[in-house]
Amino acid sequence: MNNINMSFDLYHLWQVCGGQLILIVAGLLLILVDIILMEKDQEIRGRWMGWLTVFIFAATIGHLACREWDLHDTIFMNVFSADKYSIFISIVMTCAGLLAAMMSIGYLRNNGLVRGEYYILLVFAVAGAIGLIQSVDLLMMFITLEVMSLAIYALAAFLKDSSYSQEGAFKYFLLGSFGSALFLFGVAIIYGTTGTLNITQMAQYISGGSYSTLPILVAFAMIMAGFFFKMAMVPFHMWTPDVYEGAPSVITGFMATAVKAAAFGVFMKVLFVGFTPILASSGQPDFAATVNLSALGPYWKPVIWWLALLSMFIGNLIAVSQSNIKRMLAYSSIAHAGYMAVGIIAANGEGRMGVLFYLFAYTLMNIGAFGVVYLIDGMERKAQDLEDYRGLGYIYPSLSFLLSLFLVAMAGLPPTAGFIAKFYVFAAAIKEGYFLLAALGVLTSVIGAYYYLRVIYLMYMKEKVKDVERGPIAAPTVVALVIAALGVVYLGLLPENLASVANLAQQSLAMIF
Amino acid sequence: MVHLSWYLTVSAMLFCIGVFGFLTRRNIIMMLLSIELMLNSVNLNLAAMSHYMEDIRGQVLVFFIIAVAAAEAAIGLGIVVTLFRNYRSVYTEDITILKG
Repeated sequence: MNNINMSFDLYHLWQVCGGQLILIVAGLLLILVDIILMEKDQEIRGRWMGWLTVFIFAATIGHLACREWDLHDTIFMNVFSADKYSIFISIVMTCAGLLAAMMSIGYLRNNGLVRGEYYILLVFAVAGAIGLIQSVDLLMMFITLEVMSLAIYALAAFLKDSSYSQEGAFKYFLLGSFGSALFLFGVAIIYGTTGTLNITQMAQYISGGSYSTLPILVAFAMIMAGFFFKMAMVPFHMWTPDVYEGAPSVITGFMATAVKAAAFGVFMKVLFVGFTPILASSGQPDFAATVNLSALGPYWKPVIWWLALLSMFIGNLIAVSQSNIKRMLAYSSIAHAGYMAVGIIAANGEGRMGVLFYLFAYTLMNIGAFGVVYLIDGMERKAQDLEDYRGLGYIYPSLSFLLSLFLVAMAGLPPTAGFIAKFYVFAAAIKEGYFLLAALGVLTSVIGAYYYLRVIYLMYMKEKVKDVERGPIAAPTVVALVIAALGVVYLGLLPENLASVANLAQQSLAMIF
Repeated sequence: MVHLSWYLTVSAMLFCIGVFGFLTRRNIIMMLLSIELMLNSVNLNLAAMSHYMEDIRGQVLVFFIIAVAAAEAAIGLGIVVTLFRNYRSVYTEDITILKG
């Protein structure tokens, strides 16, 4: 490094990393607030911490959407970048955090767990996730990936006396650290071969063409494997059902959406900026000419083709035989990872736009579904079997209606966001000639419809066999569920607005520094 | 002077030992140790490459990895303690109530 120029002004930092700064500072302040409230009544303490967290996430979304959206800038010698792509995914993840925080107020109270560190960990997890998606540097990617993951390991283990929660969290921790170690070894190989950690400089090196393929491919495979662990793609999915079943329901919803969004977002960034640059059409000076677009295409496309197919098949097929609803939704989340990967294989603008749209839609419907699951549960693990859902449609009509809506959206039926999202990714794949993959994908989503609709069938067409008493409903949870439901229907009826925003976001991926 | 390839070989061997230990050991403490071994093999790799490329960034990365590995160990051991309280065992074959 010849010219180490670390001078920067704070205003610039605030502009580029504003979302992270708000969350980190607010997270630290929340620790103080928690200490001050320690003396107070548990009820008041839980409510204060919860509402403050909701306010922090709302402020972050406001800042990201209004102040940072138009930005295109980097800071710290190209370590963090603010561009539409990373801001879009940051907003998706912060929305997941917001909905999860709103539901947590009721969830913690129902489970008798009013603990301040829960919200603090949630805030730091989202801060790490935003850092991950904003980083252009492999070192910073590793650090922020760990910031996010460590907070979520602790959250998954939050039910201290539940063997299920502990076992799930431990499995998550072991396989998550294994995945990060693989990722890190890939980073070391990249550093040794290209002499840089910055993914755009790496892209210049690769597109120069004068490299030995083997080390780059090994590094590529290891970095991909590290991300696949977080994305829950098939050969790396073993932890998913156990962790999703064991973790607190609201945290499961958060993990399934925010972590998936972060992992998919950063994977697409590394793939389309670093390894197979899409810069050619963006008219970058003296770079467009040398870009070798398809240099690594023959290597990664078949791999993801098979992984996407296996994820869709294995996720949907095993979900059919599940009796626990959280476990069923875990397998469905593996299947959804497969659908999103179809959009990545297409490797065109429509595909990337489809994946971004899918991430947003999936966030709304999945957190909503887990919110209803925790309400019907009452206390964790009291009523999680599918048998407990028999006849619920007549006892709790509005909750059953909401759950039906979210499940219909996950099954991909119109007029919901799930249908539009699946339509976008499959249309992109067909446009690039992946007919077989798209056909098999649609086939698997028919299998998927079977187990989603079975829950609705149990709720409305069957007599109840067991008395299920839902927990008390907290107002913020209702608000969060209504927001999620309205979002799912709105995106299903009028998808153009979000689609055009997602399209702007994916275009900026071609112009990352 | 020791050639770079020796360092890389040792580091690759350490990494493979870590992966092998992670996949075969049934004691959760040994699995945590294997993960540490994998992370430290990366450190060796980076320090050696950074020395030979005369570029300081690799060594900076090593410090960050050490810090992150320490944080990871703290969280991991915390989970192991609560896990042990619930199961009274550190062997993976006893920790299997989640399945299906």
